[in-house]
Amino acid sequence: MSTTDGPTLMPDDAAAQDIADREAKGRQRKGWFPGLGDKWNALPRHIQWLILIVVVVIAYLLPILNPPLITTDPGNNWQIALAQMSVYALVAVGLNVVVGYAGLLDLGYVAFFALGSYTAAMFTSPDSPYVHIPYLWTLPLAMAITMFFGVLLGVPTLRLRGDYLAIVTLGFGEIVRILATIIPAMKGQVGFQNVGHPPGTDSSGQPIFLNSNGTPWYWFTLSVIIIVLLAAGNLERSRVGRAWIAIREDEDAAEIMGVPTFKYKVWAFAIGASVGGLSGALFAGQVGFVNNQKFDIATSILFVAAVVMGGTGNKVGALLGGSLVAYIPLRFTAIAEFKYLIFGAALVLIMIFRPGGLLPARQSLLAYGRLAYNKVKGALGGNTVPGPTKTRPPGQVATEPAKGAGNE
Amino acid sequence: MTLLELKNVSVHYGRIQAISNMSFSVEEGEIVSLIGANGAGKTTTMRTISGLLHPSSGSITFGGKDITRMKAHVRVMQGISQAPEGRGIFPGMTVMENLDMGSYGRKDRTKISEDLERVFDLFPRLKERARQFGGTMSGGEQQMLAIGRALMSNPKLLLLDEPSMGLAPQFIRQIFKIVSEINNQGTTVLLVEQNANQALARANRAFVLETGSITHSGTGKELLANPVIKEAYLGVG
Repeated sequence: MSTTDGPTLMPDDAAAQDIADREAKGRQRKGWFPGLGDKWNALPRHIQWLILIVVVVIAYLLPILNPPLITTDPGNNWQIALAQMSVYALVAVGLNVVVGYAGLLDLGYVAFFALGSYTAAMFTSPDSPYVHIPYLWTLPLAMAITMFFGVLLGVPTLRLRGDYLAIVTLGFGEIVRILATIIPAMKGQVGFQNVGHPPGTDSSGQPIFLNSNGTPWYWFTLSVIIIVLLAAGNLERSRVGRAWIAIREDEDAAEIMGVPTFKYKVWAFAIGASVGGLSGALFAGQVGFVNNQKFDIATSILFVAAVVMGGTGNKVGALLGGSLVAYIPLRFTAIAEFKYLIFGAALVLIMIFRPGGLLPARQSLLAYGRLAYNKVKGALGGNTVPGPTKTRPPGQVATEPAKGAGNE
Repeated sequence: MTLLELKNVSVHYGRIQAISNMSFSVEEGEIVSLIGANGAGKTTTMRTISGLLHPSSGSITFGGKDITRMKAHVRVMQGISQAPEGRGIFPGMTVMENLDMGSYGRKDRTKISEDLERVFDLFPRLKERARQFGGTMSGGEQQMLAIGRALMSNPKLLLLDEPSMGLAPQFIRQIFKIVSEINNQGTTVLLVEQNANQALARANRAFVLETGSITHSGTGKELLANPVIKEAYLGVG
């Protein structure tokens, strides 16, 4: 193998490269807190775990701490607000798989949320004439049903791209809501009351999971979120995750790299749908009442807004975006009426000043980058790859990809 | 031995016919060039061979196997690899991640590292830029990356769609030199070009495409000497 034919830089190429380098620096997407992701990746594993544990403990303590200024009391009950925020956060994490990882604009995600809610309601509410099963069983059932509908919607529509896909999903979102209105079994606006809840009673014989007590619901949903985040983190680093990123970047290019793009798009749709269904079932349980009023297009757009605001493609960003979208109208009740106006304005501003969202996605690509780097490092017999180390200093890239929520 | 053969292939975009009854073949070890003006159907031909488009009639065989209905991602495993027009790299991935995607369908790790070394030997520049985002590199570097990435699947047939597009003259010469080098290492190359001069000079055989059909064929030298071609594609006459 000769290297003599390799391109050598001419003087004007060098100058052009210099400009390109400077542009590259300027174009590097920085987070809300510049370099936070890099700093995080630079930390040793045990410190990362320690910080994560502290964050998780604080998250679990939030309903008890009821921190002043942050709390939504007295306008809205803080514990119930937390429960709702956690449901929205879960929705955003699920939608992020579809919109963020695979780059498929799904404007009808609320349909899966609705299907999940109705699954929980119709199998547990005394208003429903059908088979009744324990509430906890409705969670996997809701996931299975929504996954099925995700595939059903995905197989014909995922041959479409971009705008067409957005329009078809928008239509699907409306179909489910309208069906809920016209199918007698789904009880339209009357809806289903007393949706079930997880079992358990406290010392005084009261059920632990009451609609009026947000704390157990919040803890329950938070635990579900942690499990989903761990699963999403593993997916991100898997071959499937790499395929999704490639599809998002350039679908044709992904296909000619040997990625079965259609299959992986359907997978993203199905996985996203199942998380949407799960969050819908949790929502139905916490609120205790399901009718056709909560699943309109505006809600669907709000879900997309949550993902885009938080940082498309970054699960921690989605978590933040989902929580914020639920939190802001609950905390600032005076402006709650104008929430769509405010989110719309916020989205415009974020798109102008932070196109990547509050926590941009590049951080999530880093884990994959490290894998690729290690492979190469192995391939070159331990020689480090020379060149600028703008995003990762060599000392840290050699570490194994860190596991757990929020580390990339 | 015939590696790739197109027989009476027609391709339509909706009702519009882009390629009509095209037949040609590529022998193992050759460099074959397809030249033609804008809209002649060059890129359509490439996308049909890589599997991103499917013919409305006709057949494509590769290595003696009928691949007419085979999907693009399966054809990669068969040994067809494309560096797409406009380079088509993943702009938000680093050079290394791009190259890694090139070997997506492969599991033979030791062979992959050998191929990576081969790519770095051909394009030392990529090694220097290993951790730079693809989208922030110059046009010439992106072209190198697109070719390097295509080589990472260890193809029998490399499809190059306008590798010289938008590049400075010295880069064009370098790219073509490297194409010859890749061919010398045993990879068959099918090249589509508007830059007829270089494409014909490097090719064993060449075809001229006009509005979806092949109008001339011959060895690269024959076509270079053909007065009609000279006038239409080489800017002399």
